[in-house]
Amino acid sequence: MIKIENLKCKIETDEGEKDILKGISLEIPAGEVHAIMGPNGSGKSTLSYVLAGREDYEVTDGSVTLDGVDLLELEPEERAAAGLFLAFQYPVEIPGVNMSTFLKTSINAVRKQRGEEELDALGMLKLIKSKCKELGINDEMMKRAVNVGFSGGEKKRNEVLQMAMLAPKFCVLDETDSGLDIDALKVVADGVNAMRAPDRSFLVITHYQRLLDYIKPDVVHVLAKGKIVKTGGPELAKELEDKGYAEFIGEAA
Amino acid sequence: MVADSNIKAFPAAKSPYVPCGEGTYTPCKLPKNVPDWVKSFRTQAFERFLAQGLPTRKMERFKYTDIARAVKEYDGVLMAHEGIIAGEGAYVSSLEEALEKDWVKQMLMQETPGAAKYGDSSLWDLNTAYLRDGAVVDIPAGKSVDTPFVLNLEMPDDAYASLRFIVRVGEGASATLVENHKGQGEYWKNAVIQIVLGQNARLNHVINQQDSAGAVATTYAHIHLERDAHYNGFALNMGGAVTRHQIQADLAGAGAHASFNGLNLLDATQHGDTTILVNHMAPHCQSNQFYRSLLDDKAHGVFQGKVHVFEGAQKTDGYQLSNALILSADAEMDTKPELEIYADDVKCSHGATTGQLDEEPLFYLRSRGLNEKQARLLLVQAFVEEVVEKIGDEALQDELGKDIGQWLEKAL
Repeated sequence: MIKIENLKCKIETDEGEKDILKGISLEIPAGEVHAIMGPNGSGKSTLSYVLAGREDYEVTDGSVTLDGVDLLELEPEERAAAGLFLAFQYPVEIPGVNMSTFLKTSINAVRKQRGEEELDALGMLKLIKSKCKELGINDEMMKRAVNVGFSGGEKKRNEVLQMAMLAPKFCVLDETDSGLDIDALKVVADGVNAMRAPDRSFLVITHYQRLLDYIKPDVVHVLAKGKIVKTGGPELAKELEDKGYAEFIGEAA
Repeated sequence: MVADSNIKAFPAAKSPYVPCGEGTYTPCKLPKNVPDWVKSFRTQAFERFLAQGLPTRKMERFKYTDIARAVKEYDGVLMAHEGIIAGEGAYVSSLEEALEKDWVKQMLMQETPGAAKYGDSSLWDLNTAYLRDGAVVDIPAGKSVDTPFVLNLEMPDDAYASLRFIVRVGEGASATLVENHKGQGEYWKNAVIQIVLGQNARLNHVINQQDSAGAVATTYAHIHLERDAHYNGFALNMGGAVTRHQIQADLAGAGAHASFNGLNLLDATQHGDTTILVNHMAPHCQSNQFYRSLLDDKAHGVFQGKVHVFEGAQKTDGYQLSNALILSADAEMDTKPELEIYADDVKCSHGATTGQLDEEPLFYLRSRGLNEKQARLLLVQAFVEEVVEKIGDEALQDELGKDIGQWLEKAL
């Protein structure tokens, strides 16, 4: 499914160029959920942005392929069409663009790129209604501007809603748990779990082990200072919960 | 007033104005049937204009717009043209027909707005000096007119015109006025519009400025509001080579409310200047200035907004906001908000932003499958929509929306 090899990237800062990812390799087979855990500043969010194609980061080495397709060659929208979905840590507020217009444009843009027929107004309405119902999202939300004035929980549920609608093959969840209370977290996790399928894989990025109680990973990776320093089963997350990241910060240095 | 679907003022005269030499202006001859007071009133205005000359950039309110340079081709060949204006609506008449009315005479004879304090109102005097074409709209007290009054202005090529509009909305009356500005080739249109709103009167005023690409359009609107009167203006400025839209509103009665909204869509080498002065002269008045600009290519936008709160105008609520989106590296926006306050219990604020589209929302939309053009279009449409909805009339909104949409499609 997804294969990341020796991925390196840098970013332009006020103090000059800074290397952030220093050679990441991992492979997630179809149907699996992998978690990436790590301390602040380890490069977790950078990895998600690089996968989604944000231009601020310059990839200096390595490759990323999704079912054999070289993602790094593609524009962000082409990656979405190829089946990548990033649930943002901080979903962006877009004043003046209402949810329903946004979702319609997005869904049809992806469908068109995939060579599928665009949905008509009725088909769109049905799709939106059914997905909202599954995720317990009030129709009222569709009239509001994208993420504007949304609570933390609403924003994250909105990310999962979009994920459900765009039917991706590979989902990256960037700190989807941050800022959520336990009830909101459960709703979001249920939404993600409902999407688990043999032909879909997930990369769950988190700082806290708590999320992994609700979204059970097959594999856990520890990221520190731009490198994966340890890989293990779900028990690794528990271990980190008890011991913290101290040993890894030292190890990577 | 008389119903008239095709307004022409002084229709008998053909090119009554004498072309004159470079740098000088010659007062124009008038048709015979014009009352004496109009003749002397025009002559006096002409003398005032000659004494001042055209506004220069040394004048604070013309800092960003060089009128003299823009109109130098028209120097000395000022000529009025006929059939420029067509009006629709039961209360519209030509200026000529209305000259006998005392209230029209009074409005014409009023002191030039801004002249005493700012000394930069010579374009108004120039308009008076060449006064000929115009229209008068008079809504009787208590009358509520649902159908908009539409003034269609179509300028011919190679022309100068002084156009004068006089609008009175009587006590408790309400109306919608639409101005459609169009034209051919190169011309200079120097228009003055005088609006007086009686107590509790309401006017919705929509200006659709799509002058030709070679045009110079200078307009000066003076709006007088009595107690509890309500003015809501919207200006779409997308035409002209050089445009200068000046507005002075006098909130003279307590509880008056005036909103000035506008959208500038400028590209190529267009220069568009909007300069607004709101005089808060009575307590409990509210004013809003809300302009948005999209600037492409080498366009230059200007927004100068000023709120002047007079002594005793307590509980004033004055608000100004200008947001400009720059779509190309060579486009430019100058913004100058200003406050002058002589009362101590007021709420006044101003804000201005100029910038490019934010990267964050663009990336967010692209990560959801929209290509760059789609994403930009969606964001810019939202930017535009927030001011267009201030028009408050869906049919007019849709009408303007089509032209706006086409401009956006082309620009992005």
